[in-house]
Amino acid sequence: MSELSVPHLLGIKYINEADIQLIFETADHFKEVINRPIKKVPSLRDITIANLFFENSTRTRLSFELAEKRLSADVVNFSAAQSSVKKGETLIDTVNNILSMKVDMVVMRHPNPGAGVFLSKNVKASIVNAGDGAHEHPTQALLDSYSIREKLGDVAGKNVVIVGDILHSRVALSNIYALQLQGANVKVCGPKTLIPKYITSLGVEVETNLQKAIEWCDVANMLRIQNERLDISYFPSTREYVQQYGLTKAMLDRLDKKIVVMHPGPINRGVEITSDVADSEQAIILDQVENGVAIRMAVIYLLASKIK
Amino acid sequence: MKTLLKSATIIDSSGTYNNQTKDILIVDGIITKIEDTITEEGATVVELPNLHVSNGWFDSSVSFGEPGYEECETLENGTYTAAKSGFTSILLNPKTKPVTDNKSAISYVISKTQDTGVNVHPIGALTMKSESVDLAELYDMASGGAVAFGDFKTPLENPNLLKIALLYAQNFDALIMSFPNEKLIAGKGVMNEHIASTRLGLKGIPALAESLHVARDLYILEYTGGKLHIPTISTTASVELIKAAKEKGLDVTCSVAIHNLFFTDDALEEFDTRFKVMPPLRTQSDVDTLKAAVAEGIIDYVTTDHTPIDIENKKLEFDLAEYGTIGLESAFGALNKLFGAQKAVELLTKGKDRFNVDNSHIKVSEKAQLTLFNPIKEYTFSKEHILSSSKNSAFLNSKLLGEVYGIYNNSKLIIE
Repeated sequence: MSELSVPHLLGIKYINEADIQLIFETADHFKEVINRPIKKVPSLRDITIANLFFENSTRTRLSFELAEKRLSADVVNFSAAQSSVKKGETLIDTVNNILSMKVDMVVMRHPNPGAGVFLSKNVKASIVNAGDGAHEHPTQALLDSYSIREKLGDVAGKNVVIVGDILHSRVALSNIYALQLQGANVKVCGPKTLIPKYITSLGVEVETNLQKAIEWCDVANMLRIQNERLDISYFPSTREYVQQYGLTKAMLDRLDKKIVVMHPGPINRGVEITSDVADSEQAIILDQVENGVAIRMAVIYLLASKIK
Repeated sequence: MKTLLKSATIIDSSGTYNNQTKDILIVDGIITKIEDTITEEGATVVELPNLHVSNGWFDSSVSFGEPGYEECETLENGTYTAAKSGFTSILLNPKTKPVTDNKSAISYVISKTQDTGVNVHPIGALTMKSESVDLAELYDMASGGAVAFGDFKTPLENPNLLKIALLYAQNFDALIMSFPNEKLIAGKGVMNEHIASTRLGLKGIPALAESLHVARDLYILEYTGGKLHIPTISTTASVELIKAAKEKGLDVTCSVAIHNLFFTDDALEEFDTRFKVMPPLRTQSDVDTLKAAVAEGIIDYVTTDHTPIDIENKKLEFDLAEYGTIGLESAFGALNKLFGAQKAVELLTKGKDRFNVDNSHIKVSEKAQLTLFNPIKEYTFSKEHILSSSKNSAFLNSKLLGEVYGIYNNSKLIIE
């Protein structure tokens, strides 16, 4: 198989294991490219991509933009604060206006779950979901798995725990789907107030004790508390959260193995993860960031080749 | 004016002609003859394929929009849609702007619909502007023709207000409606909290939000006495609570929306906002319980909960779209498919007494209040079947059974 099974990347839920392997193999090539002195290939000179960010983002937007530019695509950026969305324009109209300027692909971040799916049904362009509410963030999950594969050789059979605010996290959901497709075992860990009641229906286990969770796992993916999405108080104080769910060097040192520590960023040092953990050799947080560019190049390249 | 219905199979389980095929002669709105064969000079003859007739159908929860939301539906086209869908009597929700919370607003609805062939009975808002703060003038609205009082989908947050309403309404034997949804538990939820919501990352509304509210209302009813109707329940727990309350002897009735019997929350897999309804579509287990409760009579009535929403407020990102589906046009096709024609008709003719709505029977000398239909036609429900101004139907692309020709009511034959 040399092409993706889907015309859009709306979520890991909508792709299969072969798609993931194809993306990884393509990313291997692009990772080599971005480590060359000239970090650029001419593959997408005829493709124009719009990055539509209806929600604040720094790293994901930069990562996509770099990925696009290193493929030589033409790139336009758009964020909601500067747009006519505030003037009452609908999402479909906004996007169709941009597409009229001959844009081939849309990378979209949006606060509402399903916004990418909705858009894909209503506009004629290839859509890449760069995060839609608490639904999915597929490229993040792909780069996370890719980073595990790079560090541990394989994802299959590995024990991965996702720690923190699972309830409001698109990263958690996409990671669960991606890890399971590749044969990993997944647990989620956090206060019960931040874990969806029916999460076990996805085939994951729930562990509320962080120490037990890290004793079980090969990889701990630490998520931040999505303060901007908390409509009510789900725990009494950050201090109390840290006491239970903050990962410390002392906890890692108590283990008789070296687990891999991941974080999708931005890190809240001293909350979900202490500085000495974030900066330790067990943390692969910056590798994730580097791999993000390669993964996004692969996704965009593979989707663009379907347009062609 | 004479109308002759030829070879009409009568579906009326409580009458003498059930399942018999007869000719029916109607003169000036009154049934004058029911015989095997009638010939009558000068009569408008109605001969339709596999014609069946029943008592006119009734729906306890319909919204149109006029005044205020005419872009969703007008009274004129809404009542025509109801007539063509087989409904001779409907209760109209106060989903208007301004809210139907006073006698003149009630009078407006009644006078604007009195020549339509459909008996439109307004529900008055229970509280001023449906804001859940102060009671509206219930007695005044009742004397103007309001048949029940409720704030449509706005839950009564203040339990004391329900207590007062139930006590006050007893002065004039009025029926209070309380839509169950505990807002603080529902939070920012937009669909049922279960497996589907977990998969979709959409905020869930726990079944608890409904049952907690139902339990509260039933406790209050036990204290106050009076008559309570709980519209559109959707969960197993609510069914159990209402069953227990009825066994205690409380004067409570409830309804379920047809779409809550027909679809589960799995329908939301593609984030299709046509399925964004309130109460939300629940699980298969809930649907099974609801259907059994309808069959057993624990759930008293089924309703279309017909809610037209213009495309500007429906074709949006899921979180932003409004709640509701239209349902009049698909009501019989869906119920007939779920329960068969005899039971479907029984369900569609139930509830008139509870809401003090004019009722009559298929016999000589009675007022002709009839629905004309063909229960055996199978079809895929599509846009061409929609008569409403708004096209937000959850039933689009569903296979339904049975088509409706229209009604005869108030001396009007509406089949075209």
